[in-house]
Amino acid sequence: MKADEASLARLMAMAQAGDRSAYRTLLVECQRWLRGYFARRVAPDHLDDLVQETLVALHRKLASYDPSRAFLPWLAAIARYRWVDQLRRLYRASEEELDETMAAVSEEPAVAARISLERLFEHLSDAQVQAIELVKIQGLSVAEAANASGQSESLIKVNIHRGLRKLSAMIEKA
Amino acid sequence: MNRDTDALIGELVGNLQPVRPMKFSTGLGLTLAGLVAMLAIVGAILGLRPDVLTGDPSPIFVLASGLFFLLGLAASVTVVTMGRPRVGSDHDGWKWAAAMTALLPLAAIVSGIERSQFGLTGAAAASGMDCLTMGIAFGLATFGVLVMWLRKGAPTSPERAGLLAGVAAGSFGIFAFSFHCPLNDIVHIGIWHGGAVVISALIGRIAVPRIVRW
Repeated sequence: MKADEASLARLMAMAQAGDRSAYRTLLVECQRWLRGYFARRVAPDHLDDLVQETLVALHRKLASYDPSRAFLPWLAAIARYRWVDQLRRLYRASEEELDETMAAVSEEPAVAARISLERLFEHLSDAQVQAIELVKIQGLSVAEAANASGQSESLIKVNIHRGLRKLSAMIEKA
Repeated sequence: MNRDTDALIGELVGNLQPVRPMKFSTGLGLTLAGLVAMLAIVGAILGLRPDVLTGDPSPIFVLASGLFFLLGLAASVTVVTMGRPRVGSDHDGWKWAAAMTALLPLAAIVSGIERSQFGLTGAAAASGMDCLTMGIAFGLATFGVLVMWLRKGAPTSPERAGLLAGVAAGSFGIFAFSFHCPLNDIVHIGIWHGGAVVISALIGRIAVPRIVRW
């Protein structure tokens, strides 16, 4: 059974008061929600890491949730921040091995379009989205992404850099 | 991170401690309390302007200090909001207050050009530097409160949060100090009082992100 917004908000309020049983239920539900949320926008071998990092961030920033407000927009902001941070780290490391067999993702995330990751991408140019998807999500090298997209290698790098900067600025706004 | 998520959840549950949710009223209340404390220090140690003491403040003082107060308030509200993230929040409201306050340095430049005198030398510069440094110094209480708030919270844009913490600190700092500064010259207010906000904002933009990143 999937928990709804009201149930999650109630569990979170109980967790803030120190109720460990409610907190366990909340984290299990959040884990499930986050897997759906990230599924299309993270390379499969990075999904577990990102879900775990987001759960740790949720734990560390528990006080920043106001129980009088909706829960999922708060969780989505935490999740987006960790997602953009992971993309940035991958960008800086720029060493990723290729994983050309992207698993087909069939599960549809049960989230409103308002807080989806797709909505963030709507604020990027097509070239920026393409560069980030090819290199950061599908794991192609810059040269391979340039071949696949028809953009030059330097343009791929510029589009990744500018796209990540824009994503970072739009985490709550978009 | 490479561990089983169920084990991680068990660990997080085991470490759970009750927390007090970060209320907007608490954040803003602490910030305003810092401002009141700075005003009290200005009044008690440095002394208030003569026209404020007599209850007949100069219009330029009311206008300028009012603008700095509103900018400080708008920036503080934004920073407090940024500590409690949610998708759908818009953090742009402070820009209108900033645009209004920017009229002060603009007026200073226009007036300075007319007079061919910007107060950047001699005694005018010395008193200007006093206001600049004291404005920044009196903003430290606001700065400290907002940085602590951001560290506890989860700002998703540490760079903008740092910039705005600096804007709030500089605005409230020069607002507090303007109750002591006796000058009503628009060139002095626009350049030196406005300068305190700009420098404080730069300090916030440079120093704060690394402290509040999570």
